[in-house]
Amino acid sequence: MNKVEIDWTRCDGHGLCAGLLPDNIVLDEWGFPVLRDREITAGELPDARRAVLACPALALRLSNR
Amino acid sequence: MITVEDTRVIGEARVLAGLEQGRLDLQRHLMTHGPQPQLTRDDYVRLCEAVGLRGRGGAAFPVALKLQDLPARGVEAVVVNGSESEPVSRKDRLLLTRSPHLVLDGAVGLAHALRAPHVLIAVHDGAAAMSLREALMERDDRLAIEVRETPGRFVAGEARAVLSALEGGKAVPPGRRVLPTRKGYHRRPTFLSNVETFAQLAVLARLGSRGFSSTGLTSEPGTQLLTIDGAVQRPGVIETPTGVPLDTVLQYAGAEPGPVLLGGYHGRWLAQTEGVMLQRPEVSAGIVLALGSSTCPLGEVTRVAEWLRGQSAGQCGPCVFGLASLVDDFARLTAGDPQGWHDAQRHLGLVPGRGACAHPDGTARFLTSALEVFADDVRRHLSGQGCGRPVLGVLGGTR
Repeated sequence: MNKVEIDWTRCDGHGLCAGLLPDNIVLDEWGFPVLRDREITAGELPDARRAVLACPALALRLSNR
Repeated sequence: MITVEDTRVIGEARVLAGLEQGRLDLQRHLMTHGPQPQLTRDDYVRLCEAVGLRGRGGAAFPVALKLQDLPARGVEAVVVNGSESEPVSRKDRLLLTRSPHLVLDGAVGLAHALRAPHVLIAVHDGAAAMSLREALMERDDRLAIEVRETPGRFVAGEARAVLSALEGGKAVPPGRRVLPTRKGYHRRPTFLSNVETFAQLAVLARLGSRGFSSTGLTSEPGTQLLTIDGAVQRPGVIETPTGVPLDTVLQYAGAEPGPVLLGGYHGRWLAQTEGVMLQRPEVSAGIVLALGSSTCPLGEVTRVAEWLRGQSAGQCGPCVFGLASLVDDFARLTAGDPQGWHDAQRHLGLVPGRGACAHPDGTARFLTSALEVFADDVRRHLSGQGCGRPVLGVLGGTR
């Protein structure tokens, strides 16, 4: 099962991930991502990969656990 | 401030045995405890499983599981985490300064059993480091044993932050969650635990599981070290059987009646003390703080929150912004602003689980339990009257 993970030591709150994966990520009042605890479906996988690549801080990861 | 002279025992002295006349040098250590038997790795797993030994650093992870998670060969190091970064705790410093050989026996015995070539001891207290170095001069363990002084920040005591500091890096938790048993010291399998865990292992190796289980709870037999402070007449470190009633310990230390914080600054407030038994995981690293009844609870909590905010490593956004917001929320709520209460409720939901370490989670746990247990005080403050008590700084937590 695929999930997105955040390396909080890297995340600077750029917020691109929330734009690219609105069903999985929203931003808190400080601009940092809040993960909805749900799996990435097969259909969302390309968008999730795009979000991982788009993160300017390399803080977003896809994990399959 | 607690001095190491303030040590007491309820029941049988085990890890604090022989300390009536001060520090145990090698000769007095051997007279008190006898020699450390050399056990195998299987012996350690069997013993730890039989007595349900749990780590004494706060997370209370079962030691047998940690041992079983190590690979069959290639264990690089045994690391003794003596950073004791919880500001109220004194138990580990007491062991290191007064009974260093017991801790060394535990670490060295396990290192031999695991065939680990290194023993590293991380401390951030000059007296503890000196006591260990003095003890090492008296011994010949045929192992590379190093004492290292690491930085004193709260989150620097987190296991992976300690490993990072030992490798010469910054003493901050890394962003990836990896287990030291798999990728520890220099990314090699490592057994890391708290100072008291190693002292208990040394006692367990000597007594065997039956002897070790002659006191304490059936589920987690043996003794435990507690640090008691706050509104008490006799603060200090106490060795007690596991599962001792909290009220017994409070009475023993001469605590004023009032609310109790169990488990330190990352712990929980108790609504009442009657019937509470001190055991893991609730007791965490063994800190019992009595608040008494003459200080303003919300003011005290806000002071600790401010200290915790200052202890953030500053790596993770939700911790940096979340804890700063929470300090502000609690200050406003204490001053009677209802919006402060609403903001605190929201921010307490935004902080847990969103950092490299458990600092935001622990801080939120402490503050959430404060709002529950001090609900009457919250109402009094929000009515604009305040609680009429000054903030005495009973809990520490300076600005």
